[in-house]
Amino acid sequence: MSARWPGLASIGRRLALLALGVVVWEVVARSGAFSPLVVPSIARIGREFWWLLARPESLAEAWATLQRGLGGFALAAVIGVALGVLMGRSAVAAAFLGPLFSGTYPIPKIALFPIFIYLFGIGSVSKVLLIFLECLYPIVVTTHAGSRAVNRVLLWSAANMGASRARILWRVVVPAAAPFIFAGLRIALPIAMIVVIITEMISSADGLGYLVMYSLASLKTDRMLAVVLAIALIGVALDWLIVRLRDRLVFWERLESYYAE
Amino acid sequence: MRGRYAPRLIGLALLAATLALWQLTSRFGRPEFVLSPLEIAGHFVDALRSGELLPHVGASLVRSIPGFVIGSLIGVVLGLLAGVARSLDQLLSPVVFLTYPVPKIVFLPIVMLWVGIGDLSKVVVIALACFYPCFINAYYGARGTPTIMVWSGLNMGARRLQIFRKVVVPSALPLVFTGLRVSLALSFILLFSTEMINARTGLGFLIRQSESSMRFDLMYVAIAAVAALGYASDQLLLLVRRRVLAWQDAASR
Repeated sequence: MSARWPGLASIGRRLALLALGVVVWEVVARSGAFSPLVVPSIARIGREFWWLLARPESLAEAWATLQRGLGGFALAAVIGVALGVLMGRSAVAAAFLGPLFSGTYPIPKIALFPIFIYLFGIGSVSKVLLIFLECLYPIVVTTHAGSRAVNRVLLWSAANMGASRARILWRVVVPAAAPFIFAGLRIALPIAMIVVIITEMISSADGLGYLVMYSLASLKTDRMLAVVLAIALIGVALDWLIVRLRDRLVFWERLESYYAE
Repeated sequence: MRGRYAPRLIGLALLAATLALWQLTSRFGRPEFVLSPLEIAGHFVDALRSGELLPHVGASLVRSIPGFVIGSLIGVVLGLLAGVARSLDQLLSPVVFLTYPVPKIVFLPIVMLWVGIGDLSKVVVIALACFYPCFINAYYGARGTPTIMVWSGLNMGARRLQIFRKVVVPSALPLVFTGLRVSLALSFILLFSTEMINARTGLGFLIRQSESSMRFDLMYVAIAAVAALGYASDQLLLLVRRRVLAWQDAASR
């Protein structure tokens, strides 16, 4: 059975584990060992979650978070892929940009947030730019690796058939590097979510990160957990989307292999 | 010889040019919250002498090192084991891969609620974040072991433990180090954000506090210290990697 329906079996297993987690949580919550403030029951979290979904105000908070996170991510994806391909195909660009990226890679960009606030204000711009900066590195590094590893025979054949340089870049290098590019995007997307939530927790008046801190400060832990659940679901949904997009665009390679090599 | 050092030289030249350009801006009108590199260097020495910096560095390291070590150690061990043992794989992998895209920082308020707002909550969140990249990379590293090597080992009479230690672990090591490097970077992100959100000590707190009290000198000193710590720990990890994976570098050169 499980050999014929591996997808179904794994979904069933996940659901069973999820159900087990819910039951354990509920038993702990009902046992009275902890205050309902520390471990609120699933029913209360569910009610708060429903309350969040039903109010347009809280949907606006989620929308603000998504806009910032995806805005910074999209900016990093476009510029990062361009820079990575450039570094992979041009020795001059690699000589100049390579040390710049490897030198500043281990520096935690989040520490620059206060400076960003002074430079770009406390609104969305400073957050989007910080997300862009944190997401840029994994995308550039993987795209660089991918576009450097393009099979030379493919480049020669394309050049031989009279393709221009730009055409070779777009039709040969980018598709050949696509599995690497998606590996980078998949690393960068959770980072975008982390940074948007962090910056909203630290300084913001809207967004889901702000809502978490606000609910905690007003001791509404059931609401806080409902927001955490919403953030978690958004993270899982975005990851699912990017994997679907990858399978659609890079249909010639299976997902398993891109971590292995 | 020249080929090996050229990238490093270009990098240093770029760094010097950037710093010089930055220094030159101080000649022209410039907002008071942008300090020149020389000013920052001067303040850095002052802060080291006055003892304003080191206690915060110590407080940060006390949180980040245990968090990173615990989280990545558990991640690597479980990831390797899940890569070779099917029962563990079926038990752990669905949970890990399902919760992987969840930003771990959202657990800080919950952990604060459960273990208090002290250092422990920060260590737990950092460990949690460091667990994931290590688990996933170690898992794929162990699963990517060439089957033929395992067969050869078995054929030569190696026991399962020996195969794990002498075949699976070495072949997974390059990816394990990739995971460790990602975790290290994440540990810094989480360290400073947890400290910015709530702490009374540490570099993240120092940045936040000096920012709100308009002490830009101290803010830049703290940011420089964060950058230096991040860079130094990454270099240390790369050094260990070169030592441990000497065979791989020799083969790829």
